Amino acid sequence: MTKREATDLDQPQSDGVVMIKRALLGMGGGIFMIFIAGIVAGYASVVIEHGGPSMIDTAILAGLVLAMLVTGYAMWRFWPGGKSDPVGPRVKAARNILAVLMLAGAFLGVVLGVAEESSGAFLSNAPVSAALATVSIAIWLIAVPVLTWMWWRRVDEHEAGAYRDGASVALHFYFFIAPSWWMAARAGWLPAQDPMVVLLIVSLAWSIVWFVKKYL
Amino acid sequence: MKNRLKVLRAERDWSQAELALRLDVSRQAVNAIETGKHDPSLPLAFRIARLFDLKIEEIFHDQA
Repeated sequence: MTKREATDLDQPQSDGVVMIKRALLGMGGGIFMIFIAGIVAGYASVVIEHGGPSMIDTAILAGLVLAMLVTGYAMWRFWPGGKSDPVGPRVKAARNILAVLMLAGAFLGVVLGVAEESSGAFLSNAPVSAALATVSIAIWLIAVPVLTWMWWRRVDEHEAGAYRDGASVALHFYFFIAPSWWMAARAGWLPAQDPMVVLLIVSLAWSIVWFVKKYL
Repeated sequence: MKNRLKVLRAERDWSQAELALRLDVSRQAVNAIETGKHDPSLPLAFRIARLFDLKIEEIFHDQA
């Protein structure tokens, strides 16, 4: 049998290109679905306040839910990269844990987004209910650390290295940004430092480095 | 560190995904090792050597 060239056995598209396509489709579809979910939630609450849904309200709500389902199906159907390659048990477990972590993050994001809708600010410091605080803290302080520990036990050394490099860059970002912003705020050049915005910047730096080191 | 992983893989008609499955690492890890972006740890290097029934130094060698 003629041996295939090694390059013929590689993926036709680089991981980076596929991942960027996935990120774009995931973000676009995800934002659209969250947008529709917000309309559904708002419309339903208005309908309930006015004594329950009429036939037209029910049809509109059903249409919106259908739009979400069609979007979800289209994302699945046209997901870049097609069918995934078979993977070993450790890789599969690590991927599944990462997917659960992402779902937990998305759930937390949607919950906070809905809760902060009234304040009109992203990551505001407005008071929240005890129930929301309990759910958020339970996810962030219990579920996420446990899942992260499980992921660390299963992830392969290449991805662990990418994650560690990201952590190192992120810590440097924090080391440079936090004191500079603090001093700039004291001088009146910037608004007071917001720890959640700093966390967002640090997380973004971490994610970018992880992505580059793993896929590019 | 240079290595002969890509050649050894081609000799066996394995894709990167097939090799990754046999080593239980991600395909990106195999790609990174082949392109020299990631030097495998000693345990992984031993696993690779066992898989190809070779010594580590027959697969990996210093660039110097």
